[in-house]
Amino acid sequence: MNNKLSKIINAWVPKEGKVIDFGCGDGSLLEELMKTKNILGYGVEINDKKIESCVSKGVPVIKQDIDKGINEFKSSNFDISIMARSIQCLKDPSLALNRMLKLSKRCVVTLPNLGYWKCRLNLAYGRMPVTPELPSSWHETDNIHLCTINDFEDLCKKEGIRIMNKVFLGSNGAQSNLSSLSPNLFAIEGVYLLEKQ
Amino acid sequence: MNVKTELITFNTGMALENGHKLDSFELMVESYGKLNKTKTNAILVCHAFSGNHHASGKNKVNEIGWWDEIIGPNKSIDTNKYYVVCCNNLGGCSGSSGPKSINPSSNKPYGSNFPLVTVSDWVNSQKMLMEKLDIPYWHFVVGGSLGGMQALQWSIAYPDKIKKAGIFAAAAKSSTQNIAMNEVARESIRKDHNFHDGNYLEHGVIPKNGIKTARMLGHITYLSEQHMNQRFGRKFQDDSSKVGLDVDFEVENYLQYKGEKFSEIFDANTYILMTKAMDGYDAASKSDDLSSALKGVLAELLIIGFYSDWLYPPERGKEIQIAAMNNNIKSSYIVLNGEHGHDSFLFHSDKYSQIISKFIES
Repeated sequence: MNNKLSKIINAWVPKEGKVIDFGCGDGSLLEELMKTKNILGYGVEINDKKIESCVSKGVPVIKQDIDKGINEFKSSNFDISIMARSIQCLKDPSLALNRMLKLSKRCVVTLPNLGYWKCRLNLAYGRMPVTPELPSSWHETDNIHLCTINDFEDLCKKEGIRIMNKVFLGSNGAQSNLSSLSPNLFAIEGVYLLEKQ
Repeated sequence: MNVKTELITFNTGMALENGHKLDSFELMVESYGKLNKTKTNAILVCHAFSGNHHASGKNKVNEIGWWDEIIGPNKSIDTNKYYVVCCNNLGGCSGSSGPKSINPSSNKPYGSNFPLVTVSDWVNSQKMLMEKLDIPYWHFVVGGSLGGMQALQWSIAYPDKIKKAGIFAAAAKSSTQNIAMNEVARESIRKDHNFHDGNYLEHGVIPKNGIKTARMLGHITYLSEQHMNQRFGRKFQDDSSKVGLDVDFEVENYLQYKGEKFSEIFDANTYILMTKAMDGYDAASKSDDLSSALKGVLAELLIIGFYSDWLYPPERGKEIQIAAMNNNIKSSYIVLNGEHGHDSFLFHSDKYSQIISKFIES
């Protein structure tokens, strides 16, 4: 995870909060939050190599397929749940969103934007987009539910999910004027803080 | 590797969970490596139902320890860095006080009169051992199966004496099916005509057939169906290595051989006592539920399950994980494939060994 993205998420996580990070990867975001915000964090990950990295960082981790279990942790009273760059890989993103918002009042979701102009250009040339953010070809990618910024915000509206805050990252991985002005065309990634209405 | 095997006597005795008191008792203890000056590197290894104090390296009769793949110099539990202690549990048959010991009040072996000890009793006796060895706290308490139950109980009973716990292929309580399997095993021992209500030593015999059958059943539950298929399939045992004329298949020969070996070394009363302790354990027995039972736990937990384990399947470990999370305990729950069913916790695999060593070091 890049520095800019983790800084944005960091600002939304309450100090000493209880955090669950779905698709936590090597645990670097949680490790940073443990250091800077003194949180109690749990990562959820399916990849054994990444799980090993979490363990060596001292980041508590649970081996679990996110598609199969978010509900299991509902007795745990989390302050915030995070799903960075994973929601597009899930079988049922809408169900996952709703379940995360049952675990914790708030959740952070980040997702790649298929509306980004380079993706559109790829499609205009008759090809599935392959970009630095979406590097795999159509038959190899885990991203089975890609959407645009507008699509995602429509889903939030439909599900009664309030967008408390949002940041759009441009091609350099940071906020830019263009990506803020017209995110659906110029953002490579949307970063959302969500709450159930 | 610096190996030390010693019999330690506890003259003060201890009160047992069931109300009985042992006036004095002995524990057979093996240790590896050295306690450092700051006394911060002690690890307690708890054995499973048929294990003993000999966890690593070779003993005097050249037997390799039951967790030699995990414990040793430069292994996951690195004896170059850590002082590792393992004792034969109270009620065992490898040197610690148990049914084979002489009852001072009758000058005969205890036999079935040895009190039924529990997982809590073991943990309490291990706490006394810790004090005897002048160890202020354990950096890590770890075990698989019944050993995992002890590690869990340590974290509950003595929260400030344990930094980390490793609970592998275990559960917070035995399932109905676990108890059922154990009862069949116990019944085969009790119904052996040499059992004599547990006082077979006085009659100069042992209920060998009963223990053998019990162990054969046990072995089936320790392995996975897939592992048995791969290892034995429907292959026939060749005539030259058959243990008996009735044997057709390799799997029969294997169970016969393993059962026979075990029946020569393991004590029948210990078999009953250990399985009773396993069946009786319920981490939540003194609380409303598992979450309230874990309320005071301070240790970090590492819970590992194996997909191929149907005796203590991974979901049982997850129950502990959920309860730990409810209590804001730093806890990890990891499931590995494991080729050996329930026995997977005994064997090295790259992933398993890496995770254990990284958890200890983190």
